[in-house]
Amino acid sequence: MASEKNNHHRSIPDINGTHPTPKKPKLSSSSNFITASEIQSEFSHHDSAVSRINNGSFGSCPSSILSAQQQWQLKYLRQPDHFYFNHLKPAINNSRSIIQNLVNAKDINEISIVDNATTAAAIVLQHTAWCFREGKFNKGDVVVMLHYAYGAVKKSMEAYVTRAGGKVIEVPLPFPVSSNDEIVTEFRKALEKGKVDGKKIRLAVIDHVTSMPCVVIPVKELIQICREEGVEQVFVDAAHSIGCTDVDMQDIGADFYTSNLHKWFFCPPSIAFLYTKKNPKTGGGGDLHHPVVSHEYGNGLAVESAWIGTRDYSAQLVVPEALEFVNRFEGGIEGIKKRNHEAVIEMGEMLVKAWGTHLGSPKHMCASMVMVGLPTCFGVRSDSDALTLRTHLRDVFGVEVPIYYRPPRDGEVDPVTGYARISYQVYNKVEDYYKFRDAVNQLVDNGFACTLLSK
Amino acid sequence: MAFHDQNNNHTNGEVSKKPKLSFSAITDTEIQSEFSHHDPTVARLNNGAFGCCPSSVLAAQRQWQLKSLRQPDHFYFNHLQKGILHSRTIIKDLVNAQHVNEISIVDNASTATAIVLQQASWAFQEGKFNKGDSVVMLHYAYGSVKKAIEAYVTRAGGRVIEVPLTFPVTSEDDIIREFRHVLEKTKSEGSSNKVRLAVIDHVTSMPSMVIPVKELVKICREEGVDQVFVDAAHAVGCTPRVDMQEIGADFYTSNLHKWFFCPPSVAFIYTRKSVNSVDLHHPVVSHEYGNGLAIESSWIGNRDYSAQLVVPTVMEFVNRFEGGIEGIKERNHDCVVEMGEMLVEAWGTHLGTPHHMSASMVMVGLPPSLGIMNECDAMNLRTHLREFFGVEVPIYFRDGGEVGCVSGYARISYQVYNKVDDYYKFRDAINQLVSDGLTCAFLSS
Repeated sequence: MASEKNNHHRSIPDINGTHPTPKKPKLSSSSNFITASEIQSEFSHHDSAVSRINNGSFGSCPSSILSAQQQWQLKYLRQPDHFYFNHLKPAINNSRSIIQNLVNAKDINEISIVDNATTAAAIVLQHTAWCFREGKFNKGDVVVMLHYAYGAVKKSMEAYVTRAGGKVIEVPLPFPVSSNDEIVTEFRKALEKGKVDGKKIRLAVIDHVTSMPCVVIPVKELIQICREEGVEQVFVDAAHSIGCTDVDMQDIGADFYTSNLHKWFFCPPSIAFLYTKKNPKTGGGGDLHHPVVSHEYGNGLAVESAWIGTRDYSAQLVVPEALEFVNRFEGGIEGIKKRNHEAVIEMGEMLVKAWGTHLGSPKHMCASMVMVGLPTCFGVRSDSDALTLRTHLRDVFGVEVPIYYRPPRDGEVDPVTGYARISYQVYNKVEDYYKFRDAVNQLVDNGFACTLLSK
Repeated sequence: MAFHDQNNNHTNGEVSKKPKLSFSAITDTEIQSEFSHHDPTVARLNNGAFGCCPSSVLAAQRQWQLKSLRQPDHFYFNHLQKGILHSRTIIKDLVNAQHVNEISIVDNASTATAIVLQQASWAFQEGKFNKGDSVVMLHYAYGSVKKAIEAYVTRAGGRVIEVPLTFPVTSEDDIIREFRHVLEKTKSEGSSNKVRLAVIDHVTSMPSMVIPVKELVKICREEGVDQVFVDAAHAVGCTPRVDMQEIGADFYTSNLHKWFFCPPSVAFIYTRKSVNSVDLHHPVVSHEYGNGLAIESSWIGNRDYSAQLVVPTVMEFVNRFEGGIEGIKERNHDCVVEMGEMLVEAWGTHLGTPHHMSASMVMVGLPPSLGIMNECDAMNLRTHLREFFGVEVPIYFRDGGEVGCVSGYARISYQVYNKVDDYYKFRDAINQLVSDGLTCAFLSS
């Protein structure tokens, strides 16, 4: 299991060829698991007046890792030339090696570190654009994506695929959703659509966990279907995944896979990895480039990404400390994921019971976030209403939670049109969710409706 | 004590934060304190590569970081855009742009280059430029820029023409003449080969010299070059007259972490408003795509934007110096030239550029007896100086000289934290190497 590998990371020889003493983080034993008060201390820089139930957007970083990051920053500022020539590359390679083990990639060259999943998407889609431009793909060939793909990714498709002559097909998804089969059925239909008129489906972009509304997608199954149906390459946008869902490159089988480490893996803003499977048959992973070109151009994506001009790379260097941090918890990152999942489901069910609503997806399609239906009397009728309600909850009640507007379908009677995406991370307490419950109850009592807030 | 008005170059009435008239300039002790995090055992003569940042600005940056970490959603919705706009407004005034929409903030000049060249790449692809049309650059263009031109222009079917430059250089006229010659020659080859873009350094990196950009931009206009992009990675806080109206380029980029005391990393890209139908985009696409480069660049996904938010604090810092940034530039120039002359006298060599083509860096000839025969030798010597003498200075190998001539140059810099001892240390290190009979051949064995 991938988690077993969490406890070790191969040491990388430094530029002199010697192996530094490997920093092997110990898995804690029950006598020295991190305590509740230590956890609170690690997150004491969070605003204590806020119920912080939106870990999915910006993530969180414990103070011990922030301190480690600061050490790297000071080291660089002290003598940047020395840092650049002697410290930077080995430290990035160290981080890459840990990630490689964490996600069960075969070869460290398959792991590049970039700023965030948005950057990773630009890298993959710019490559797609070149394929269209250079005639490797024909105009009108298809790229498939999910309807609930992240907004930035949709724009990236427009900027790179559509502009280069590719056709984009969206897979409509139901929400609320009750089973993986619903998603699989729609996906198959979209692939059929993509193959009409002899067009090829060159790329499928599949979310591992959609953002809004938040649902865990059966990526392994969808990728299998892609292979059966002759989709050339698959890119999994797993922005949330590491630290949130299971992430095993061999098991999932994608050509490209990206996840942020600052969302659920306790790294500071910002760091993500892009996995590019070595595949001699399709040439995948061979010709990806970082859009910011440096003198490292042509040395492979991982090396290109490790130097994109003068910048602060410190967030990319504290992956060892992040691993040490998660290993202070019982079960390491696997234990954290399991407990987060159980807690967020418990809190979600507590809320829907209190409000008389429902969850947007079943437990097995949630990881550490869940969509909680809001009382219909709020009258959420647009994205704008959702944002207004979110602001109101922040400003008046000290609750930070993203709200999703779900347009009603024909024939639905008094549907739930607003969902809150609640998250659970190690710093959360049950009081955070009671605060949210009570805020909504008070709004209901006061006869609140979104129309009252909008100007 | 005289105080130079920072707002001399304003053409409009927009007000940025006008610092109070200060009658007591920052003291020497205060300067040392601001840079006390630098390694004191190192003679830091390479400000050109990575720049520097005073501790008061680092402290301000940390405040921004903590603010975001404390409540990131609130920060994103209520603070970030305002903070970035404030920085952009200050930069606009600093470089005399006409409108704040002409100023976008990006990570560094490398990113700005990718933005401009990606646009050129699409232009070739979409038929706006014809295959075989040219992009002109200087022979001493930065390595990354040359690679970017390969990645975006050559790959898309554009032709790349280099303007040959010589080094050592004695006058700007040589550069102007070579540049004009290249443009005229290309034009004479037939109207099917247009020069679509000229990429011109304001200050070249290695070897370092100040290029007469204003004159070269004028030539571009005369010769009908479509777009002019000035790569001024060093310029802000280094060269005099960083003035968008005066220089007249279509695109202009400079880092602020090199010579303008910002933390790593922050740069701006200026895009002239009057440039028609040029569609610049940040390559990292977010939901802001299509809202203009400045807005796109202000949100490229979840990241630490704090380095972009401390520009106001940096303005306060430079204004603690007599004459503000203009005073700093002037004194840096005078000092680096003085130190350069001291070194060449001590070593019996010469400077690679005349004073007026040096800003706050100068190329100092190294004794030929060191036997620098190739770039590898230059790197080995640099490493040796760092590890054995505690001197950090980049070395340039100049090809094509005769035996016994100067073949290596050190690019020394001067910034407010430097002291004359830094340069004595370098002088003495080289003198010792010479008297020890050390050569680069010995170093590489």
